Amino acid sequence: MRHTQTAVLERGEDFSSDFATEPYEVAWAGEARFFVQRLEDTTGEVELRTQISPDGITWVDAENTPTVRLDGTMVTWSVREFGGWLRVSGTVSGLARLRIYLVCKG
Amino acid sequence: MSTSPTPATDLRRALLDADPKLSRFNPLPRILAHDDFQTGTHGWTELIGNFDGNGNLRTVDDHMRDFRPPQLSSCTFFDTGTHGALSGTYALKLATRPIAGHTAVGIRRLTMAGKGLVQLETYFTYKSEATLGKDPANNSFGGVEWDGNLHPSEAQFGALTVATDICGDGGTRYHTVARYRNTTLDNALDRRWVYPAVPEPTPREHVQGKASLAYLADFTAPDPDDWKPFSDPMELCYNEVPTKVNWHYLRWLIDTDARKNVELQINDRIIDMRDVPVPVYEEKYESLETLLNFYFSVRTHSNVRNFLFLDSVLISVDW
Repeated sequence: MRHTQTAVLERGEDFSSDFATEPYEVAWAGEARFFVQRLEDTTGEVELRTQISPDGITWVDAENTPTVRLDGTMVTWSVREFGGWLRVSGTVSGLARLRIYLVCKG
Repeated sequence: MSTSPTPATDLRRALLDADPKLSRFNPLPRILAHDDFQTGTHGWTELIGNFDGNGNLRTVDDHMRDFRPPQLSSCTFFDTGTHGALSGTYALKLATRPIAGHTAVGIRRLTMAGKGLVQLETYFTYKSEATLGKDPANNSFGGVEWDGNLHPSEAQFGALTVATDICGDGGTRYHTVARYRNTTLDNALDRRWVYPAVPEPTPREHVQGKASLAYLADFTAPDPDDWKPFSDPMELCYNEVPTKVNWHYLRWLIDTDARKNVELQINDRIIDMRDVPVPVYEEKYESLETLLNFYFSVRTHSNVRNFLFLDSVLISVDW
């Protein structure tokens, strides 16, 4: 049976400027999927990029994953071949209250 | 704790010794859980405070809303790549944010089918996140100067805690707690084991208006003066820099019949905890009968991420 793990990287934090989630180790996983939810009618514009890292300290945009816009109440995208760490980097105009899930399978 | 050997206990020990995964432990007669993190998180999950009837997480106590999800870590570092665990590749990692006072907590939730001795064993290590920069000031922290042996990273690690949350006998609730306070809040090396003299503030006490704590409050016991030492300074094997992993053996024995601590073993040191107080809540709790929770936490006293790594955990009982 495959292993799976869901991490709640942000639980409803208010974002009003650029941000990055905490480093999360995923070397064991072969695939992952982000879910980003907008909570409580906050209207800030949000753009999200997947970032990867060799050491959990220095980060670079994942080469095959496009920037994602949060237009509705939730957006999702999948990533593969990400190495040892994943995080989301966000650009925010206005105020956005976000819940961010990372679902991994290996 | 030792018992007189019998043919049965000798055979049991021989069987344990023949198993490489179990021979490193000294379990009581019944093993409730053996968590080897090569195969997942085994029920160790993020602790969170309680929420209202609408699932509104804004109603979670501010100091209990961000204890961070545990990670399955390959113990990989910038200088040498993958270190790996004691056995295999993966360990369970608790990681704080890089904010002084932030705490990460992993909890495991069981109940009690009896009363008596309960023992938790683990192989653990603790590290601060490496600092990569160009500032000569990074060669000094908390009174530690880099001299090729001691590294300022060691003073950037705050504290690690192992604890329980136990309830029974009609709602009588208490915590047993042991914390390795590596540094004081002003980042001086302390290295003593400490316990809280008060019970942990609960979400019900917040709803009742008895407690309201800030985001970075120490959830186990918010007032630093409530933490009392029960050991002399005990130097562990941080091993100089933030990227070397040396696994330490921890064995912690409590008595749920007497509601008392018994002893704590760290490698070759055994600390008698029988006189370490266990504060009991004055009011009864509902919905928690036979509760038996264990948690590990890591708390940074610097603006550097702190990590607690667990290679494996074994929980055993004498009932």
